[in-house]
Amino acid sequence: MDRIFDFHIEKLKTRLIKMCSLVDEQVDFAIKSIEEQNRELADLVISRDKIVDKYDIKIERICQKLFALNQPVAMDLRLVMSALKINSNLERIGDLAKNIAHQSKDFEFLPNYFNRLHYSEITFIVRDMIKKAIDAFITNDSELVRVVIKSDDKLDELVKEDSKYLIELMHESKNNINSAIIFYQVFQELERLGDHATNIAEEVFFIVKAQLIKHRNDLADQES
Amino acid sequence: MKEVKIKIKNLSLYFNYIQALNDVSIDIYSKKVTAVIGPSGCGKTSFLRSINRMNELISGFRYTGEIKIDGINIYDREIDVVNLRKLVGMVFQKSNLFPKSIWDNLIFAPKLHGVKEDNKLKDIIEETCRKAAIWDEIKDRLNENALNLSAGQQQRLCIARALTVKPDILLMDEPASALDPTSTAKIEELIYELKKNYSIILVTHNMQQAARISDYTAFFYLGHLIEYEKTTKMFTNPTNQQTEDYITGRFG
Repeated sequence: MDRIFDFHIEKLKTRLIKMCSLVDEQVDFAIKSIEEQNRELADLVISRDKIVDKYDIKIERICQKLFALNQPVAMDLRLVMSALKINSNLERIGDLAKNIAHQSKDFEFLPNYFNRLHYSEITFIVRDMIKKAIDAFITNDSELVRVVIKSDDKLDELVKEDSKYLIELMHESKNNINSAIIFYQVFQELERLGDHATNIAEEVFFIVKAQLIKHRNDLADQES
Repeated sequence: MKEVKIKIKNLSLYFNYIQALNDVSIDIYSKKVTAVIGPSGCGKTSFLRSINRMNELISGFRYTGEIKIDGINIYDREIDVVNLRKLVGMVFQKSNLFPKSIWDNLIFAPKLHGVKEDNKLKDIIEETCRKAAIWDEIKDRLNENALNLSAGQQQRLCIARALTVKPDILLMDEPASALDPTSTAKIEELIYELKKNYSIILVTHNMQQAARISDYTAFFYLGHLIEYEKTTKMFTNPTNQQTEDYITGRFG
């Protein structure tokens, strides 16, 4: 028997998936706008953030309606609860992509030390984490969740290393300060992107397994 | 598009010296589900029964105000009550099937309204039972006593029976309150389906039910219409404090 509720849930899922795809592309473009020093791409990311915000509001309204009118329980309840949180994480990812796009416009050309940073490695991990977190949500795959959560450690390590290096550069020469500060910020933002991907993955785990694995305290227990 | 089906203006109902409804004005929209909620004794059922003039069966009934369906005043002297009730079907809290076969229950009203041929009757019955999502369960049992069906099936049969005379409006007074959750869900799905063709007014004590299936909700209290809103608005941000108190369970 089809439930009226399923119709609304499908609508919610469709919106979230569309928002996911948009946010995923926003991150890709933002990262490219730095690598390629592409101002047009940066402007596109900045202007499209308004669309992300619209999705955010729409999805929040749908969730509010579902709570008020359908009193979801069990899996349905977890899905709507998590949809709300995934939604805010996606919205934050969108904001961070916008920030990165803004920062890409702050330099005339890439500094000569750029190749010594782990930029492509870090951005590869971030993009991969976001893609996998989204895929985990779409396919209800709790195995992908573990992959995302593990990648976050590697990401944090690389960001830490590069941040340290950037500080050294600033100590070395005053001329490095401007660009190094921007890169320092960009790396912090990339690290935050990874955190948001992890949050989404944790929400997926909650939907599928009904277990909260936030703040890492339980994941080890899950595996044992 | 919103089209007004029933226009009620300044309706007050009295049973002897008791006033059951107090100056109620409300527009009921076509092909929508309108839920009527409120505590016991607030006038919900009296309100519902005034739309197919069933209150007149009670002695001491008086009314003021007017009820227009498609622009026609149903309390006009020239209105034939039998035809009115053909247009405005009703389903009650407890199924009220006749202790006869399923077939006899279903053909009763069409026969009363002049359909004689078996073929035609069969077509009507199949069509309405399909609409009421009960055809598959009863098609091989038409000669069985209707009271042998389960409570949920009996209730859906009552809905099918109400549809046999092709009404425009369905009044439902607590149609699922005596049923288990599965049968309730079936009735709710059915109501959702039926609103494509019928304007439905549903009296319910179950606020969650009102929230789930209605498009509009009217909250009655002590004979007054306190708030009438889109259901989404009513259950997310009601305008009136009394409504808020009632739907959140803080009443009294």
